[in-house]
Amino acid sequence: MNILETQNLTHIFPDDTIGIHDINLRFQAGEFTILSGTNGSGKTVLVKHFNGLLTPSGGRVLFEGKPITANLKYTRSSIGLVFQDSNNQIVGQTVAEDVAFGPENLGLSPTEVKRRVQKALTAVDLSHLANQRPYVLSGGQKRKLAIAGVLAMEPKIIIFDEPFTGLDYPGVRQVLQQILELHHNNHTIILITHELEKVLGHAHRIIVMDRGKVVMDGSPGKVIAGIENYGLKKPHGNVETMTWLQ
Amino acid sequence: MAAINIFHYLPGNSVIHRIDTRIKLVCMIMLSITTSLMGRVWDYLFLTIILLLFFWLSGMPVPRLLKELKYFHLLILMIIGIQAFSLPPAPGAFIPIPGFTLAGLKSGLLLGWRLVVIVIICLLFTGTTQISSLRRAVEWFLHFIPGLPAARIGTMFSLTFVIIPLIFDRAAEISDAQKARCVSGRKNPWQRISFMVFPLLRRTFEQADEMAMAMESRCYSEVYRKTAMKTSGYDWMALGFTALVCGFLFLL
Ligand SMILES: Nc1ncnc2c1ncn2[C@@H]1O[C@H](COP(=O)(O)OP(=O)(O)O)[C@@H](O)[C@H]1O
Ligand SMILES: [Mg+2]
Repeated sequence: MNILETQNLTHIFPDDTIGIHDINLRFQAGEFTILSGTNGSGKTVLVKHFNGLLTPSGGRVLFEGKPITANLKYTRSSIGLVFQDSNNQIVGQTVAEDVAFGPENLGLSPTEVKRRVQKALTAVDLSHLANQRPYVLSGGQKRKLAIAGVLAMEPKIIIFDEPFTGLDYPGVRQVLQQILELHHNNHTIILITHELEKVLGHAHRIIVMDRGKVVMDGSPGKVIAGIENYGLKKPHGNVETMTWLQ
Repeated sequence: MAAINIFHYLPGNSVIHRIDTRIKLVCMIMLSITTSLMGRVWDYLFLTIILLLFFWLSGMPVPRLLKELKYFHLLILMIIGIQAFSLPPAPGAFIPIPGFTLAGLKSGLLLGWRLVVIVIICLLFTGTTQISSLRRAVEWFLHFIPGLPAARIGTMFSLTFVIIPLIFDRAAEISDAQKARCVSGRKNPWQRISFMVFPLLRRTFEQADEMAMAMESRCYSEVYRKTAMKTSGYDWMALGFTALVCGFLFLL
């Protein structure tokens, strides 16, 4: 069964801008998918729908076969979204407090919240900074904090919206390493990026969007050939081994 | 990093940290009211000593206290100065400087001291209280008032603390970016201010929007949740002690 599916999903903004148009996609559990496309092609709007953060103008989103609106709380705790700008996602005054935000919202017991915070912080290797204020963290650490905040919800799918933006080389490597670890731990990954040379080697599938529509969808080897038609830079080298991790 | 660095939570496990936030909030309000009502030098001295004792118990470093007071130096000096010249002189008294009176200076000093005391009270509270528990405490008090969106107000309250440093950062950034483009060459100050304020507001609202979404995606909802907040005998003792201090100041 598909873990996540969209049916004729369309979003038109009040000012008549087309965010996305007639999107039909299916995601399998355990997949590592890259979602790419130029700025304004509709990637962020699409993933916000996966989380029920926007109301479709048409169509619907199914999670595990059921419309996400049937149980938004379940959907949101199962589909984690790491926002593009970590500053917008951090609401706690300390690192640990921020990670606890989600589990507390789920109404979990204080012991369970604590367990999850510790687990999530260990996973992203930030335990030693648990009592720090978030604004003293580096860009890469902030992004990892945002990831920990999502991990503490124990989601099945994790969506990353341009996680490499604004990071230096070590920052990119840290975050990429993190994403791969999560994938190895059986999370389904959807990664938005146009910096294909950094990750393409790890992905099973790449979806390209243009002006609100899905224009290409397939294995990296197949899709890469036509990518320049949609304003993306074709990376050099072997698609299968393309990564910033070696 | 945030340009403004004041009234931040300092993680710890001191006796002050451990007081139930609701009770701590009540204590803080009681102390603040007492401060604004008392008037004698001895009152100030007594309360200051008690507060310094609390401060010592909280384990917060004293340099921090001095550093935070730094922001208020100018304000305090201004208050003292204005007061010193604001009282009518006693008839026949010798006045070396026109408008200056000793009584005025004294009242100015007391007012300045009052401000220092209030700052210490706020520091004690914010330095030992996590925002999330402050939010829960505010929610808890408000949920008794029917028709009030307690959870929403509590969240707004706590987010203010998160967003303010961000706004200051951004203001500094915008200001730098405009300096780099020689905004100082413009004569009209209103124009300069509007170049600062409008981008700042726009960015802040955009961010608030995105932040709300990010919170929603982590299952935030505005329903008041009964969270386990338990008071112990220890909390009531802290309340009792504070009440005693306040009562002492009122009665004597
Ligand atoms: N709140 C909004 N109001 C109007 N138009 C919007 C809004 N958010 C996004 N859009 C438009 O929707 C389109 C897709 O945006 P987005 O999904 O953010 O692109 P990206 O692929 O860069 O993430 C763009 O044309 C954008 O201008
Ligand atoms: Mg985007």
